[in-house]
Amino acid sequence: MRFRIYRYQPDRDARPFMQDYDVRLEPSDRKVLDALERLRAQDDSLAYRRSCREGVCGSDAMNINGRNALACITPLEGLREPVTLAPLPSFPVIRDLVVDMTQFFAHYHQIRPYLINDQPPPERERLQSPEDRDKLNGLYECILCACCSSFCPSQWWNPKEFIGPAGLLQAERFIVDSRDRATAERLAFLDDVYRLYRCRTIMNCTEVCPKGLSPARAIEQIKIQQLRRAS
Amino acid sequence: MTLLSGQRAFILQRVSALLLLAYVAGAALRLALGPPPGFAQWQAWIAHPLGAALLLLLAAALLAHAWVGLRDVVLDYVRPLAVRLAVLALAAAGLLLLGLWTTLIVMSHAL
Repeated sequence: MRFRIYRYQPDRDARPFMQDYDVRLEPSDRKVLDALERLRAQDDSLAYRRSCREGVCGSDAMNINGRNALACITPLEGLREPVTLAPLPSFPVIRDLVVDMTQFFAHYHQIRPYLINDQPPPERERLQSPEDRDKLNGLYECILCACCSSFCPSQWWNPKEFIGPAGLLQAERFIVDSRDRATAERLAFLDDVYRLYRCRTIMNCTEVCPKGLSPARAIEQIKIQQLRRAS
Repeated sequence: MTLLSGQRAFILQRVSALLLLAYVAGAALRLALGPPPGFAQWQAWIAHPLGAALLLLLAAALLAHAWVGLRDVVLDYVRPLAVRLAVLALAAAGLLLLGLWTTLIVMSHAL
């Protein structure tokens, strides 16, 4: 199977280039990551991140034939050849397919991704009704792979200021949590021209999320709750 | 609300869009039902206080909508602060002038 892969080693290459590979696949090779592993056996200078190889860790997010996806759960079958692999768009490249996620995680920390509750903790855990727990569905599953944020034009335009779909989905996850007591502060923090309102409902985020989540929907929910609070 | 509230502009954009939508629907209905109005009819419509008020409301919605849209484009594409402020000021001045001009025309007919 033919591959065309983005190569860049800052200390060696003056500029990035695309390298063509032809890889012999075994019958057991089904996903893009399997092919990458074969490729690395051929050329051990190729760098990429991977860990769990089953779509849970979010390490191997990359651009596959123009679409952000996780290499480990993207089937090789049906991919147009040569399969073009590139690092996540708009993220600074460290080497080959490995990108710098510093800004991405800075946004994540900005939304305070933890429960804030200053009431004295109960004897056992803080309980939640099944209905309240259901509100977290579609939000808690995010693995922070950055497929969405890297594919969001609003994020390309304002990478530092706009929190981006992944961060905002996480923000909504804590806003709707019945055990959290900082809802008002969270909503007030997001009522900002840049942090939340740079979203233009382009919905690339929902389109590419490998876990089938909808950051666009989460962003809409945040806006609705801000509106309720304001009125 | 804070100075850099995103919600204010967001609401302004939505509400003005609804007003414009209602006006376009009304205008389309009017054109579908009868022959297009002539100049005299337009003048008569604006001379009526209700017509003048409606037209001014429409102009305000249009200008507000244009302002939020232009501001969004500038926030996305114009990065240097000085250029950004200049472009925003120019856009604001242009829109205000348009608004003033529209008001003058409507008022000169309504009064």
